[in-house]
Amino acid sequence: MGKESSLSGSLFYVFTVISAFLVILFLLGIFYILFSESYLAIREFGLIGFIFSQEWDPVRDLFGAAPTIFGTVVTTLLALLFAIPVAVGIAIFVTEIAPDYVKAPVSVAIELLAAIPSIIYGMWGLFTLSPIMAGYIEPALQQTLGRLPIVGILFEGVPMGIDLLTASVILSIMIIPLIASISRDAFNLVPSIVKESAYGVGATRWEVIKKIVLPYSKLGIFGGVILAMGRALGETMAVAFVLGNKHQITTSLFDAAATITVSLANEFTEADTDTYLSSLFYLSLILFAISFITLGAAKLTIQRLQRGGAR
Amino acid sequence: MRPYRRRRIENLVAISLCTLSAAIGLFWLFFILIDVVIEGVGALNLALFLEDPVPAGLEGGGLRNAFVGQLLLTLVAALLGVPVGLLGGTFLAEYGRGSRIGHIISLLSDIMTSVPSIVIGTFAYAVLVKPFGHFNGWAGSFALALIMIPIIIRTTEEMLKLVPWELREAAFALGASYYRVILSIVYRGAAPGILTGILLSIARVAGETAPLLFTSFNNTFFSVDMNEPVPSLTVTVFQYAMGPYENWHAQAWAASLVITLFILIITLLGRFIIFRRYGKWKTL
Repeated sequence: MGKESSLSGSLFYVFTVISAFLVILFLLGIFYILFSESYLAIREFGLIGFIFSQEWDPVRDLFGAAPTIFGTVVTTLLALLFAIPVAVGIAIFVTEIAPDYVKAPVSVAIELLAAIPSIIYGMWGLFTLSPIMAGYIEPALQQTLGRLPIVGILFEGVPMGIDLLTASVILSIMIIPLIASISRDAFNLVPSIVKESAYGVGATRWEVIKKIVLPYSKLGIFGGVILAMGRALGETMAVAFVLGNKHQITTSLFDAAATITVSLANEFTEADTDTYLSSLFYLSLILFAISFITLGAAKLTIQRLQRGGAR
Repeated sequence: MRPYRRRRIENLVAISLCTLSAAIGLFWLFFILIDVVIEGVGALNLALFLEDPVPAGLEGGGLRNAFVGQLLLTLVAALLGVPVGLLGGTFLAEYGRGSRIGHIISLLSDIMTSVPSIVIGTFAYAVLVKPFGHFNGWAGSFALALIMIPIIIRTTEEMLKLVPWELREAAFALGASYYRVILSIVYRGAAPGILTGILLSIARVAGETAPLLFTSFNNTFFSVDMNEPVPSLTVTVFQYAMGPYENWHAQAWAASLVITLFILIITLLGRFIIFRRYGKWKTL
C-alpha cells in the first residue's frame, strides 16, 4: 500500500474526529441558538420574573413560565410515582420469578412497549383512556379519596378526562418499559453465587430479592428512574392530546393544565409577535437546561459510584 | 428470626404483587396494541395508500402524500445521520479509545439522546426555518438526524468495542494500517451490531412527531420538494385526531396502525440480527 493508502487513512481519521466533535458542536449550538432566540424575552421578563410569573397573555404580550413548569413537574412526578412500583415489579418477575419459557416473551413484549411511538400513546389516551377516566375512574376517586379532608382538594371539579391525572397515567405507561428494562439489566448483574448463598441459609425468594438483589442493584434502578424522568420531562405527544393546554396552576388533578412541551407544540406555529415567539424559545431553553442538568448530574453520579465500588 | 409461617406468607404476597405488576405491564401493551389494530384495520383500505386527502369534511381520500413524505423525511434523515453517527462512533471506539475527550463526547452523546425532541425541533426551526421564512422538509430531516446521530454513535462505539483487541493486533502484525484494520477487520466483525443500531435509530425517529410540528410542518398536497413543507404521517395523525371529523379519526387510527407495525417490525428485526450474531437478546 503506498502513499495513496496513508492519504485516505488520514482523511478517514479526520472525518471520524469531525463527526465525533459534531456532538459537542450541536449541543453548544442548541444552547447558543435557544439563548439568542429567547434573548428578547430574557431582557423583558428576566429569569426569576419569568419562572415565577403566572401570566400567559398573548394579547397583552405578557408571559411567564410558572404554570408550564408546574404542569411539567406535576405530570413527571406523578408518572414516576405510578410507574416505579410496577416497573420494578416487572423486572423482579422477569429475573427472579418467571420460569425460563416465560422470561424471553415477557422481556420482548416489554421492549416492544418501549418502541411504540409516543403519538400512538397520545391518541390512544384521547380516544380510549380519557373516556374511561372520565366515566369510571375519576368519579370513583371522587367518591372515595375525594371525601377525605386535605387530600380531597386533589380530586375536585368535574371529571372530564382531559386533565393532569390522565396525562400522568399515560406518561407512566410510557416510562414503565424504560425503567423495567434497565432494572432488569441491573438485576441480572447480581452474581448468582451471592443469591445462592442466601438461598442456602434458608432465605425465602422474597428475602433474597429484598436483602440481596435490590440493595445490590439500587444504582441501576436509580439510573433507570433518572432516564425515565428525562423522558417524561420532555415528552410531548403523549400528553399533548389529553392535557388541554391551559396555562394555570391548580390544586385539582381533574383540571386541564399545560406543560412546557405541550405549550410549545400547540403555540409555536401560532406565535404572532416577537415577544411571544421569544418566550416560547425561552421555555424551550429552560426545558433544555433542566433535562441537560438532571441527566448530566445523574450520569456523573453513576459513573463516580461505579468507580468507587462495584455497587 | 420471625416464625417460618409468617415469612412464607410474606413471600407469597410479595411474589404475587410482582407477578401482578408484570401482568399490568402486559395488560397495557395488549390493550394499546389491540385497540390500535381493531380501530386501524377498520379504516385500512387501498385508497389510504393510493389517494391524496380530500378537502376537510368530505368522505373518502387517503394519505398517500403523508406516506411518501414520511419515507422521504426519514430517508434523508438517515442519509445525514448514519455517516456522522458511524464515523463518530468509530472515533470513540478506535482513535479516541480511553482518551479524556472520547469519554466526554461519549457522555455528551448519552445526554443528547435524552434531549427532548421538541427542543431539537425548536432548534431546527431557528436554524433552518426562520432564516428562509417558510417551513421546509430539510429542517424536519435535520431535526430527525440530530436525534439519530447520538444513538448511532453510542451503539457503534459499544459494538466496535466488542470486537476483540487481539484481532486488530493480528492485522497490525501483518503490516496493515489502522485505517485498513478498521475498514476490513473491525467493521466486518461488528457489522450486525452496527446495523441493529441504525435500525433502532430509524425506528425511533419514524415515530417522532414533536420535532416535525414546526419544521417540515404539514402539507395536504402531494409533494416531494424538500424546500417546501413536507407532509408526514405522524403530524397528520396529530391533526386528524384533534380534528372534528369522524373519517379523520378513522384515517388517523389506520395511519397509527401502519406506523406502529412498521416500527415494531424494524425493532424486532434489529433484535433478531443481534440474536443471530451473539446468541442472546441484548439491550442496546
